[in-house]
Amino acid sequence: MPRYRYDDEDVVAIVGSGAGGGTLAHELTKAGHKVVLLEAGHHHTPDEFVNDEWRSFKQLAWLDRRTTSGSFRVAKDFPNLPAWICKTVGGTTVHWAGCCPRFMEHEFKTSTYYDGMDGVNALDWPISLADIEPYYERAEAKIGLTGTNGIPQLPANNNYKVFANGAQGVGYKRFHTGRYAVNPVPRDGRPATIQDGFAFQGSKNRSRWSTLYTEIPKAQATGKLDLRPGSHVIRVETDGQGLATGVTYIDADGLEQFQRARIVAVAGNAIETPRLLLNSAGNLFPDGLANSSGQLGRNYMRHLTASVYAIFDKPVHMYRGEPMAGHIEDEAPNDPSRGFVGGYYLQLLSLGVPFMAAFMDPGGWGREFTSAMEGYTNMAGLWLVGEDMPQQTNRVTLNHDELDQFGQPVPNVHFDDHPNDLAMREHAWQAGQALYESVGAVRTIRTPPYPATHNIGTARMSERAQDGVVNAFGQAHDVPNLFVSDASQFTTGAAANPTLTIVALAIRQAEYITDQLRAGSIPSGHAVWDGRDPGGAAPDATELPGQTVGAS
Amino acid sequence: MSELSSHARETTLRVARAMYPHDALPDEAYEKVVRQIEVEARGNEAIGATIEQGIAELDDPTPFKDLAGDEQLAALLRVEGGDYFNLVRATAVVELYDNPLVWKALGYEGPSVHLGGYVTRGFDDLDWLPDPPIELDPTVGSHHR
Ligand SMILES: Cc1cc2nc3c(=O)[nH]c(=O)nc-3n(C[C@H](O)[C@H](O)[C@H](O)COP(=O)(O)OP(=O)(O)OC[C@H]3O[C@@H](n4cnc5c(N)ncnc54)[C@H](O)[C@@H]3O)c2cc1C
Repeated sequence: MPRYRYDDEDVVAIVGSGAGGGTLAHELTKAGHKVVLLEAGHHHTPDEFVNDEWRSFKQLAWLDRRTTSGSFRVAKDFPNLPAWICKTVGGTTVHWAGCCPRFMEHEFKTSTYYDGMDGVNALDWPISLADIEPYYERAEAKIGLTGTNGIPQLPANNNYKVFANGAQGVGYKRFHTGRYAVNPVPRDGRPATIQDGFAFQGSKNRSRWSTLYTEIPKAQATGKLDLRPGSHVIRVETDGQGLATGVTYIDADGLEQFQRARIVAVAGNAIETPRLLLNSAGNLFPDGLANSSGQLGRNYMRHLTASVYAIFDKPVHMYRGEPMAGHIEDEAPNDPSRGFVGGYYLQLLSLGVPFMAAFMDPGGWGREFTSAMEGYTNMAGLWLVGEDMPQQTNRVTLNHDELDQFGQPVPNVHFDDHPNDLAMREHAWQAGQALYESVGAVRTIRTPPYPATHNIGTARMSERAQDGVVNAFGQAHDVPNLFVSDASQFTTGAAANPTLTIVALAIRQAEYITDQLRAGSIPSGHAVWDGRDPGGAAPDATELPGQTVGAS
Repeated sequence: MSELSSHARETTLRVARAMYPHDALPDEAYEKVVRQIEVEARGNEAIGATIEQGIAELDDPTPFKDLAGDEQLAALLRVEGGDYFNLVRATAVVELYDNPLVWKALGYEGPSVHLGGYVTRGFDDLDWLPDPPIELDPTVGSHHR
């Protein structure tokens, strides 16, 4: 594995090694680029993962200080945990589930379809479904989604049997075990699932796609990737022309380093990405880097999210098997006659006893609570995931009153549910309860939103520079050698879980970067080397600018 | 405050038990809650004071641990939302349910990878409903593609 010099002028510096950053790193190294992948977390390997919800949480979760405000219930239940994401090589793909629906056509055109809603800052994406479809195909093949590329569906587990019978019971027509990122049969050098029931704790047998053991080692195999775990980027640096020159980070030894870069791509998940750009304000960028539109940090979306658990008079054992391998599409279309715009999916979900206690009814206690817990073996569960409305006032800002371990202002996440979100959640809860009642549930429980697992929209794509932060390829309108490579760039959130779209956009972005570099259309920033030891290996003569591109 | 008094320990255990009553669980399961609170109180004056005050309030006029079940519930409702109540509740909901003894009592089997997962151990053994289709019905089509 190469170690590039700190003053290397050719590297692409990528911040974050999750779905966006890990995929981009692989695609760019495959195309011959030198990549430095900076990851704040440690490099854990699957044998270190534990089948234990709280221990795993402490091992993998992003626990740096965050604050919340606004009327959403999470601000009360989990005031310092607005989102549940990972800080580790592989990012949140280390403990995601794997549900991967594509977006629908109308979801790229929200200002057209959701017009006239109060308080909604809707905007059409600068791309359409047709633009992204070829990349969806490549992403599905890369991830190895069930039901695509000749890969079979996962079998029905116990929780799915209840879910699907309930779907039939209420007359739903479109359901299956999901487009799911877990091997039902061995593929891509990874084994089939053993239905261990632990997804949100890391996949010990690697049957679930994660950049940790797919994209990142493949990028390393090209000989072009310099992976730096324990490297927390605190600033994107710019020159007098407003171009990015590299990143300043705190390395694993606690030392501040500057890595020069030809291009900087930020994929820190949709809270850390805007935070980093806001913390990178400078003379030319007083309101934060690439924020001439004022939209940086705004339009934060977290998806509808809610759950229904149901207790039966017979055993279910929902915790056995893939926790989210079930998917119902019937409520996904935009049908305003239901009293809200947009749509939602019902997806399978199970939690173990520790997390069920923490999330089923935050703040709950007494016999009502404990009797539900005593119904655990007879319990089935589902998750409701739908489109929430982009609102300017839902935003990530810097909280200057609280500093993190590196002296940087922590992010504050402000969120108020839009009336459309509330109407959709009510509809979705009722739908989930009806589903379970149709197969004989003796009790159903409405569970409120969890800390966000999907974080979206804080550096959105737009056709025009005044409406958003990045263009159709995730390139900052204001800073042409700065890219955003995670769900921050989503113009709107759609109903679908975001990761397939993050991966598809990263593949597309890598292609764009390669083409644009070859055409000489991305300008370079000019860093003045400060005289420190540039470190690393001497640059290889075959890796000079102009010869680094297009090897594949 | 370095150690909880035996009265504080005993009362906190009764409080945790009254908040999260599982009749089949032994007191041992709730002792884990008390131990964690003790760890948090160690060297933290503010938490120590919260515990002392909270218990004094609950013990007035009759010591909480001497109350009958429904009286304990009434006492808890009286102090619900207070600092001591919140401390015990937040600690109990994590510590009580983060315990293999409790998992077993609730029928949760816990770690599974070392046993080969559930692929041959009942992931699909539910037999009181018919086996549903796992593939999308081709006659209705997806909303995608
Ligand atoms: C429990 C759970 C279940 C999920 N299930 C699904 C699902 O079924 N389907 C789906 O589509 N999605 C799912 N998701 C969401 C999915 O994990 C995310 O959409 C995806 O991982 C986001 O990719 P990303 O690249 O934006 O960020 P991440 O994967 O979160 O990666 C960001 C990385 O950047 C690093 N980083 C951040 N800031 C810095 C910095 N300043 N310097 C250096 N490094 C930094 C972080 O440490 C992290 O490793 C789930 C998430 C959770 C938590």
